[in-house]
Amino acid sequence: MAVRAQFENSNEIGVFALLTNSYCLVAIGGSENFYSVFESELGDVVPIVHTSIAGTRIIGRLCVGNRHGLLVPATTTDQELQHLRNSLPETVAIQRIEERLSALGNVIACNDYVAICHPDIDRETEEIIADVLKVEVFRSTIAQNVLVGSYCALSNNGGLVHPRTSIQDQDELSSLLQVPLVAGTINRGSDVIGAGLLVNDWCAFAGLDTTSTELSVIESIFKLQDNGHSAYVEDMRDSLVDTYA
Amino acid sequence: MTTLYNFKQITPVPTGGDFLDIVLSKTQRKTPTVIHANFAISRIRNFYMRKVKFTQESFDERLKAILDEFPKLDDIHPFYSDLMNVLYDKDHYKLALGQMNTARHLIDQVGKDYVRLLKFGDSLYRCKQLKKAAMGRMATIMRRQKDSLAYLEQVRQHLARLPSIDPNTRTLLVCGYPNVGKSSFMNKITRADVDVQPYAFTTKSLFVGHMDYKYLRWQVIDTPGILDHPLENRNTIEMQSITALAHLRCCVLYFIDLSERCGYSIKEQVSLFHSIKPLFANKPVMLIINKIDAMKIEDVSAEDRQLLDDIVEKDKAQMLGMSCYTDEGVMNVKQTACDRLLQARVDAKMKGQKINDVLNKIHLTKPVPRDDNPRLPHIPEGALTKPKYDAQDPNRPKLEKDLEAEAGGAGVYNIDLKKRYLLESEEWKHDIIPEIWEGHNVADFIDSDIQEQLDELEREEERLEAEGYYKSDDEELNSEDEALQSTANAIRERNSITQIEARLKTVKNRPTLPKTAIKRKVSEVADHFESLGLDGTEVENRARSRAPKRARSASRGESVARSASMAARPSGGEGSVVRDRTTLGVRNVKQKLESEKVRQLSMRNANLHAKRGESDRAIQTKMPKHLFSGKRKSGSTDRR
Repeated sequence: MAVRAQFENSNEIGVFALLTNSYCLVAIGGSENFYSVFESELGDVVPIVHTSIAGTRIIGRLCVGNRHGLLVPATTTDQELQHLRNSLPETVAIQRIEERLSALGNVIACNDYVAICHPDIDRETEEIIADVLKVEVFRSTIAQNVLVGSYCALSNNGGLVHPRTSIQDQDELSSLLQVPLVAGTINRGSDVIGAGLLVNDWCAFAGLDTTSTELSVIESIFKLQDNGHSAYVEDMRDSLVDTYA
Repeated sequence: MTTLYNFKQITPVPTGGDFLDIVLSKTQRKTPTVIHANFAISRIRNFYMRKVKFTQESFDERLKAILDEFPKLDDIHPFYSDLMNVLYDKDHYKLALGQMNTARHLIDQVGKDYVRLLKFGDSLYRCKQLKKAAMGRMATIMRRQKDSLAYLEQVRQHLARLPSIDPNTRTLLVCGYPNVGKSSFMNKITRADVDVQPYAFTTKSLFVGHMDYKYLRWQVIDTPGILDHPLENRNTIEMQSITALAHLRCCVLYFIDLSERCGYSIKEQVSLFHSIKPLFANKPVMLIINKIDAMKIEDVSAEDRQLLDDIVEKDKAQMLGMSCYTDEGVMNVKQTACDRLLQARVDAKMKGQKINDVLNKIHLTKPVPRDDNPRLPHIPEGALTKPKYDAQDPNRPKLEKDLEAEAGGAGVYNIDLKKRYLLESEEWKHDIIPEIWEGHNVADFIDSDIQEQLDELEREEERLEAEGYYKSDDEELNSEDEALQSTANAIRERNSITQIEARLKTVKNRPTLPKTAIKRKVSEVADHFESLGLDGTEVENRARSRAPKRARSASRGESVARSASMAARPSGGEGSVVRDRTTLGVRNVKQKLESEKVRQLSMRNANLHAKRGESDRAIQTKMPKHLFSGKRKSGSTDRR
């Protein structure tokens, strides 16, 4: 079940929202259309919260979270923090962290068990990530990019990474994350996966420009449909090799 | 899929007579036609020269178009060049094109010669005769090419009807003895409609058909039947098959008719396989047993069976039976052949460089488990059973969007951020909490015992410090570190001073000289070296040794120009030198006076009559059109 959406004419919906298995944060926009996309898919299942972080709408890039917790940057105001605390269930720990790399969503990518982060992140931050989100933390890069949060999308079922990630890197990342990975694109060929795609264990939201091929890759790797995710890789492999190589 | 070669686009080649008509009538249409004997001779000459030149250029252009459009046998894919050799005879083809080229050169030469002659034409009559001769000679040259032109036109027509075979794509090539069912197979698996008749050599040329399998486009080529005799004895029809077999990267389907209804025995068919076997090198080969409705593989005699098994074993061909009549096994043959070819192509491509860019995109990485932690997905209850939202359903749940629309639309509606708060009591939701209370930030006191906690932390800190927890083992490195630090500080300070100095030096309100142009004294350089802690004397010595020797001043007559220019130069400092131009080019005072005298003499006459000289101020146009036309009234703009 993957849905296409757009935030005020922008396809980069991962910038303006954050989706986990136990809550969803949505930026406050000019209208409620974007919020209602999430509401129609997730309403009554998990809380969907309007919020800003440090007065901005780019909440998906500024904060990071999973089922167990939410990390917000130091620029978050006291009122925003209070609002989040009141809106999210008790089981979700919220922590504001002092980190130089304040766009936490760009520098950290995580699911409910493992997180990978920017190689230059503070050691204390690393510990906080491990404690609050209850994950194992690894420092890594994706296709030579340090912004691991921008260039991949993860769930507990699978992961989509930057299209230029070499096979060797994919294998390494996969063994760190313990989920199957594929390299792919979103939004008709965009490589910033994290910005174009929001995914959790049962649904996904992609930018409006995303092609049906891209969506079918997403649905199979994140196991959003019943069929196994290896179908297209094994069936069409030879045809693709012969056409493109 | 775009084909590399498009032989259908060649423009038709006119016959010899038409060719002439086209060019000459074009000359008639495109050049002036009226001339009189009383025109200036240069005009008459130009008139005829233009005609000759134009005719020559038209011939040239058309012949060049032919040469460019026809494929060059050396440049095209070897399959096509061989096929053209078989069909049109390479020598003949090359000769025809060569003759076109020769004709072009000859016509160029004739044109050039007659244009040259026309320059000396002294009357209209003579010029006209020259033109006539030129055109006549060009026409004669062209008329001689009649046969070549006719041949090329035939080749063009045949080329345009050749099947557009892409030599590099995935190809199944069907071959075998005549009448073994090659074309029937082709008709079965593609939409091509090849003529099938119960006699040999129904198919006389290559036919191409296309089909889809595994998301790909496949090309199937039906070839004319081949007989088993040496290459020299093969006719054009058979040679087309041989060419295709030799040059296309394909999967070869060798057809065998066990029922021998085609008129050839199994033995003959097998021996043909062996004689054309060299053409199958590096290609997947399939041995297709056709017409199994008439004769099954199992029913064949042991002797013949042995022959077939030999092929399968020694030549790594795969044997498959099928019947185009009953459709039995046709799809199996198609799929097996396609799979084998695809596998061969993929294997070849796997060795290339380009493959990595593709492979990483279609690679599914499966993790190697590093522990026995299951890491299961977490899907909350109700997530999967939740009914799908339907915008048409009248009982659909009310979304924020609907509330917004009811309350006046975007920009008017104000969302209630607090209505979904998860608090102990519903009533608390909309309570107002101050941000600042009595000069304190309320958020700082969310924990009631925050002060105690802070004190506790402080105490722990002090304790740790006292215990020497923070004094780590980097004390030993201290002296070394300090030295490093001080050096770093010195460098940093020095850098900032240099920066400030440079800024002060560069910001000045005049053009700056490049560094190489600034003259520095040797002593300055030496001082700079000293300041850097280097030895400056060596620099000084080197500069002295390199400086030009001071020569004894010889008594030379100072030139006027030089002295004048020296005088004009202001003392010290650079500046543009304004030279007195009356002194340029004169050697000395005497010469200058003389030149002055000559100048005045030449002006005397004009001065006497008060004539305008070139040095007088002149206004060429009193009222420039562009300034006095248009809607702007006079006085609104000044021309200066």
